[in-house]
Amino acid sequence: MSSDIQKSIKTTEKLANDSIYDTNWCDMPSEIKAKCIGKMEFKERLSLRSTAKAERSLVDSQKIKFQKGVLMGELDNGDFEVSLDSENGNTVSFKTMKDRLELMKYIWKVGVFEELNVSISPLFGEEEAPAMKEKFIGNTSEISAKNVGFGHCDTDIILYILRNTKNGVESIEMNAFGNPHPFDDILAIPQVQNTKYWHIEYHNQTDALHKVAQVWIDNNSSIGSTFQLSIDTNVSFDDFKGHFTERIITTSTKRARISTNNPDHHILLERGWNPYGVYFRPQFFRLTVISADMKESDYDDNCKEWIRKLDPYFFNNWENNVDDDPVPVDDQEDFWEHLPVDDSDDSDDSDDDQMLNL
Amino acid sequence: MSSTEQGTSSAAPAEPTTAPESAAAPEVPESFYYVHGKDKVVHKVSAGALQHSALIHGMISNLGYTEEQAKANPFPFENIDGDILQMVVDWCNQHKGKPTPPEDTNLPKQKEKLFDLVLAVNYLEIKELLTYCCKQVAMMVKGKSPEEIREIWMIPTDAEDEAAEKEAKKRAGKEAAGETAAAAGDAK
Repeated sequence: MSSDIQKSIKTTEKLANDSIYDTNWCDMPSEIKAKCIGKMEFKERLSLRSTAKAERSLVDSQKIKFQKGVLMGELDNGDFEVSLDSENGNTVSFKTMKDRLELMKYIWKVGVFEELNVSISPLFGEEEAPAMKEKFIGNTSEISAKNVGFGHCDTDIILYILRNTKNGVESIEMNAFGNPHPFDDILAIPQVQNTKYWHIEYHNQTDALHKVAQVWIDNNSSIGSTFQLSIDTNVSFDDFKGHFTERIITTSTKRARISTNNPDHHILLERGWNPYGVYFRPQFFRLTVISADMKESDYDDNCKEWIRKLDPYFFNNWENNVDDDPVPVDDQEDFWEHLPVDDSDDSDDSDDDQMLNL
Repeated sequence: MSSTEQGTSSAAPAEPTTAPESAAAPEVPESFYYVHGKDKVVHKVSAGALQHSALIHGMISNLGYTEEQAKANPFPFENIDGDILQMVVDWCNQHKGKPTPPEDTNLPKQKEKLFDLVLAVNYLEIKELLTYCCKQVAMMVKGKSPEEIREIWMIPTDAEDEAAEKEAKKRAGKEAAGETAAAAGDAK
């Protein structure tokens, strides 16, 4: 025990000989300053980094979490807005920042987003636009975001943000209305391939479904991986089934189930119900990696829920308009029966009724 | 060393007024340790309270001091002001064996004291208190402009920094030249 005491006394002697504390911020060790900066809100960090070079470099080394980040506007004149919601619910917006691109450079560097929404409009060939876009894109380093959403957004920016987002993106949402997306380029991005949830509203390329399924087969994607699509054209399952002839397990008017290279995983394609009638567009599709053990009786018939996630306004509009009664059941059944692609048995006879009683 | 045992009453754990009637096992007596700061005022603190400090906890965990040995060997923290150490001891006592609340509003608001407290707490490795202190430091500049922050925290401008650096270099150069001249003189 005496040696322990000696050791302890030596330690305390060492402590006693350490320097006397100073009380100026500038004399605080960097690691403590960094901890204090970690407790600051975004605006205060911006102010502190404007005081001196040394402070800027320290502030820039500290990540900051945002519940939500919204970038919207147009790049043709560099006039875009940035709105950031901090974890405690405070929102800070920048509408008239002189050096927005410089601000973005900092935000990309330190921001850790729970949700990131980007709606920077496509460019229309204004003189300054390409340069602004290049600067905007050039400023993007490694982005940290868990859930990424794009509104009406320049596709170069979409590609760049997705390519520069760290792995671990949990969901990606896109809207291709009036803005065709380069699907193959997007699908080639690992962050897109590995995300748990991905949807595209109004994507008018019918081959998207089989392409995603093929990537999931190649990657042995995990159970629960989901891709949803709304499409503004009439689509049959033919294209999908044609690509997976050897893999088809079951098909019906509403579902197609295929095997993968992993005996424990299947892929299920589902068609959502449109209350205006099956001929009414858009049409909704969901592709999911499921367990090979999943029974048909376990299928989720509440397509309204997943359609709402894909297109939140679709059912709201219908529900708010009392004059818009859903298409009579008979008509819908007639449609299901006469779909040219459906020559197989539908094992669940109650499917149509269930879907119509949403 | 002063033998004043200030803080003993506040540092001592609250003694139960009556012993529980149905106590099945005899209670293990709590052990105490002693610490002092720059002012040499000794504070008696229970081992339970000291558990907040990873530094002290690590030091005492294998000591097995008797009360007399502990009293005879107070831990000297002469780099910590007495009033700051008192604050730390009080906080450890108040939060002994309790989950720490999300906020602590009893921290000093004065800049100098708060910075000293931050440094002491960082030194003593009291994680929860350090979190509160850092939050308090951050609050000092809430809503302030760069100019205001510079003033509050006495942050020199880049120009001032550069001038100071130049001056320091100049001084170092002069000192080096002086040393060389002295060495040459010695050699002669």
